[in-house]
Amino acid sequence: MGSVLTRDVLVKWAPLLVLIVLILFFAAMEPRFFSVRNFARIGISSAPALMVAIGVTFIIIMGSIDLSMEGTVSVCAVVFAFAFIAMGGTLASFAWLALPLALLVGAAVGLLNGLVHVKLKIPSFMASLAMGFVGTGFALLLTGGDRIRVEDDLFRGLLTTRWFNFPIMCYVAVAFLLIAWFIQTRTTLGRNFYAVGGGEDLAHASGLNVNKVRILGFTLAGVFYAVGALLAVGRIGIAETATGSNFMFVSITSVVVGGTALWGGIGGVWNTLIGVLIVNVINNGMVVIGLPGYVQDGVLGVLVIAAVVLSTDRKSVTFVK
Amino acid sequence: MSFERIKPHLPWITLLALVAIVGIADANFLRPANLIAMAADIVPLFIMALGMTFAIYIGGIDLSAQSVANMTTVVATVTLPLFGVGAALVCILSGFVLGAVSGYVTTKLLVPSFISTLAIGGVAFSAAQYLSGQRALFMDAELRDATFGWMTGSSFGIPHEIFIGAFLVLVTWFLQTRTTFGRALKAVGAGEPAAVAAGLDVAKIKIMAFAVSGLLAAVAGLLFSVKLSGGSPTLANGFLLPAIVAVLVGGTPLTGGVGGVINTLIGTLIVAVIRSSMLYFEVDATKQQMVFGLVLIAAIALTIDRTKLRIVK
Amino acid sequence: MYELRKVDKKFPGVHALKAIDFQIGRGEIVGLVGENGAGKSTLMKVIYGAYQADGGDITIDGTKVRFQNPRQAMDHGIGMVFQEQSLITNLTVMENIFLGFEQQFVSFGVINWKDMAQAARNQLAKVKLDIDPATVTSRLSFAQRQLVELAKVLTLEERVDGDLVILLDEPTSVLAREEVELLFSLVRDLTSRASFIFVSHRMDEVLELSDRIYVMKDGEVVDVVAQAEANVDDIQHKMVGREVDKEYYREQKQKPYRKEAPLVSFKDVSHGARYQNISFDLHPGEVLCLVGTEGSGREAVLRTVFGLETPTAGTVSLKGQDVTRFNAQNGVAAGVGYVPRERKVEGIVGGMNVYENMTLSQMGNYSKNGVLRISEEKSLARDWIDRLSIKTPSEYKDCGGLSGGNQQKVVLAKWRSGGSDIILLDHPTRGLDIGAKEDVYDMVRDMSDDGAGIILVADTLEEAIGLSHTIIVLKDGIEQIRYDCEPGNKPSLFDLVHHMI
Repeated sequence: MGSVLTRDVLVKWAPLLVLIVLILFFAAMEPRFFSVRNFARIGISSAPALMVAIGVTFIIIMGSIDLSMEGTVSVCAVVFAFAFIAMGGTLASFAWLALPLALLVGAAVGLLNGLVHVKLKIPSFMASLAMGFVGTGFALLLTGGDRIRVEDDLFRGLLTTRWFNFPIMCYVAVAFLLIAWFIQTRTTLGRNFYAVGGGEDLAHASGLNVNKVRILGFTLAGVFYAVGALLAVGRIGIAETATGSNFMFVSITSVVVGGTALWGGIGGVWNTLIGVLIVNVINNGMVVIGLPGYVQDGVLGVLVIAAVVLSTDRKSVTFVK
Repeated sequence: MSFERIKPHLPWITLLALVAIVGIADANFLRPANLIAMAADIVPLFIMALGMTFAIYIGGIDLSAQSVANMTTVVATVTLPLFGVGAALVCILSGFVLGAVSGYVTTKLLVPSFISTLAIGGVAFSAAQYLSGQRALFMDAELRDATFGWMTGSSFGIPHEIFIGAFLVLVTWFLQTRTTFGRALKAVGAGEPAAVAAGLDVAKIKIMAFAVSGLLAAVAGLLFSVKLSGGSPTLANGFLLPAIVAVLVGGTPLTGGVGGVINTLIGTLIVAVIRSSMLYFEVDATKQQMVFGLVLIAAIALTIDRTKLRIVK
Repeated sequence: MYELRKVDKKFPGVHALKAIDFQIGRGEIVGLVGENGAGKSTLMKVIYGAYQADGGDITIDGTKVRFQNPRQAMDHGIGMVFQEQSLITNLTVMENIFLGFEQQFVSFGVINWKDMAQAARNQLAKVKLDIDPATVTSRLSFAQRQLVELAKVLTLEERVDGDLVILLDEPTSVLAREEVELLFSLVRDLTSRASFIFVSHRMDEVLELSDRIYVMKDGEVVDVVAQAEANVDDIQHKMVGREVDKEYYREQKQKPYRKEAPLVSFKDVSHGARYQNISFDLHPGEVLCLVGTEGSGREAVLRTVFGLETPTAGTVSLKGQDVTRFNAQNGVAAGVGYVPRERKVEGIVGGMNVYENMTLSQMGNYSKNGVLRISEEKSLARDWIDRLSIKTPSEYKDCGGLSGGNQQKVVLAKWRSGGSDIILLDHPTRGLDIGAKEDVYDMVRDMSDDGAGIILVADTLEEAIGLSHTIIVLKDGIEQIRYDCEPGNKPSLFDLVHHMI
């Protein structure tokens, strides 16, 4: 029993250990890496990605997958920007209503995504992939390919105003992380994600409305994508069709690196935090130590494989597909 | 009962229906010359999708296909002056090796293929950037025509790409249905534990499946490079998701063991028809992607055989 | 109090339930027996709401009811303890107990874990299980899980006014004898609060526990017997509809094996904590049976012979060759064939047809340079379909669609046609009906006659005794005793049980 426990403990903390080793490694290579300024930089790049990754974490815990985040993020960003500008263009006016509106839009897109998946009985991989096209397409339709600038100083304060050297967006991200943690551990919906991921047919036989849990899961993920969209807009001050680009692979990679299993039932939002930080520390560290740009993708790939090998418990399943 | 019988045939029925709809809207679409041009145009995507079929057939996925194709365009352009026709061999070999590495990481290091192929894709992208010096390269026109001109010519009014595509379908179809490798792939996709208990070397088979996927991605890249007479690390961008879509729409679900290369042929053609139909229905450029997504959902909803999926995840 | 009257259920091509009359009184334990395919599981599904009857009435205390889904049945006090473990292993015990009914512990959207734990403890007390409700279910033993299942169903007591009917579907299949005793005494205690419907393949257990026994055959209830009048032979006779052969296990066909060079030989082989210092020789024509409880190491020994497990000490040799690399490919190459317990998972590949399954382990014999000779495969399959009288429309039929007995025949044909002469049988008759079991027993004798050696982990002790030449009793991974079992001089059930526990 003793050895089993240590193994479990090791598996549980392995992602964090990997993160710490990475930080120490980059700090040893380049002392400037280990500075508050640089950590703030990592925080800024991590915040939007963390929100998107948390959204998809819930889906992956259910044993499904969501590839629609790029479309959803773009739609939310663009709708937010239009509404914000139309209603006054500054948070000091009624334009603040654009913030909850964006979350609502995220929820609606997520709901639609879940409905297509559950009601048309299309596997989530295909349904969400196609919905991602629709989302990106819809954002393109709204903008006609233009960029929308959001230049309100109050809103940009997400990036420019700093408390204790970290911009507000980092605190916003932490707040939503705590909300996600709360949902995961203290609400029926959050626990039901684990039930569905652990054994969908069994959960159904126990009287759980699995389809409802799935649809709500995708809706919830949509809300978090919307938060990610707001932070992404806050970070660069621009909303466009491409706002959502690159979120898909990065977020799913982060979730897996953090130790949440793609087959469902294992993991959680703290794992995702660690996973997002691992990916962003690698990205930032490669720049800081001056690795040439063209090798960075390859090094990231190799390090991600190493991180997954080291940090996730893959012994519990026989087959990895 | 009768609907049960129709189900396996839904992909090509969907294809015919789509062709008929576009044809009724604009008879020009049905002109042989137009159909042939459309088919020739889709061949590189099709070859990539063929490779992807092998990865999906065993229940995995290959997200490195696009990067491998990108890298191959660079490799082809760089090695053409050095090796001539041998450049093709270098390309194919490099694709094969990268695919095998993905397979190794997936089966031996137990990293899900979603992550492992993505990561190996990153490696391929870096290699492409390094080899190209991060700029677009161009082939010497004369040298290209002399070595690979046969790839892009046409005979009897039919572009050679179509022959290449047809040849590869035949080869992969033979591989899938007539060889021990194909049979083993099916067993691994449909029931991996039983394949292990039958004494098959499952790890080797899976590695080979990813290697074939990489090889065909490289062939797609080579063809692309010859067509566009050059190479760059981003030349084949935008191909990955359509290739996956082509496989899925054709009726090879992500659960493995079902479908195959013929399904992918149909799936690719469905994607091609949907895309070119935008022109005939005069869909505004900004609307095209959204319409594509919507039609795609409809097509997938129609074509997938849900009886083969135990649980819809 | 709970009654079915003239209940009918049809599926395309099958009349699964024919005018079933069934009733259960307050506090009664009713047994339900029948061969596979007799309609037991369909009847149970109608009772707990997974299927809806096509005709007839279901009444509770005289009131007509109709359930659209299991949830509605639960609301009327009908609960099911599943044969397949229905607990979700990554959840805690308390989450499993209250899955789908968490709302009672939720205030303002927040789950009160303390309340849930307390309530779960109360439920666990009902089944006399003293574990922390926050334990993750995967850490429990199978027996503990079975009790948690029961505790979960017993939550109906608080939720539902009126009487409870609890279905127990093969609850003892993974339990050791003393755990079965515990379960039975618990069930008897609980009759003060609930009625039980008990379904099992183990006739002795049904007779022991049930007040009345319903016997089903071909979708009909053919008899209802009270416990006092019941005896095993009569019931089996009614289930099968014919006399069960006195020589059920084909003992008359058992011939002495050849004591020549052994096919398999274990010398002081150990595998970590699974088993230690196991030695035996398997000879041509011999049936060697490993007997023990779940976890006694018998399956691990089988899997070692096949190469799926690598021992930590000792020497394993196949046909005189010491095995150095343990993997299934080498095992198959040496002539080992493995008939696994999980037939649908490890035995056949669902989605592949009969001939594809039969040649899966020996594609090399039907190919040249990697290209298959499919017509030869098909004629092989036709040949073996005849030889083993496999019921399939053709060799093109998807094996996933065959019945359990025919799937088992396909698995056996796979190994026999490939020339395997070391056959490992892991629960080869599990889930098969009597006719199919007899077919398997015949095949075991035929293989012995052909000079194959067989290592068997049997489904029941009777089967082990009836079939084997040699029995090795294992307990906690250690050999307890070894019996030679010539016909007429076989050990008794008692002898074996005595050493198992």
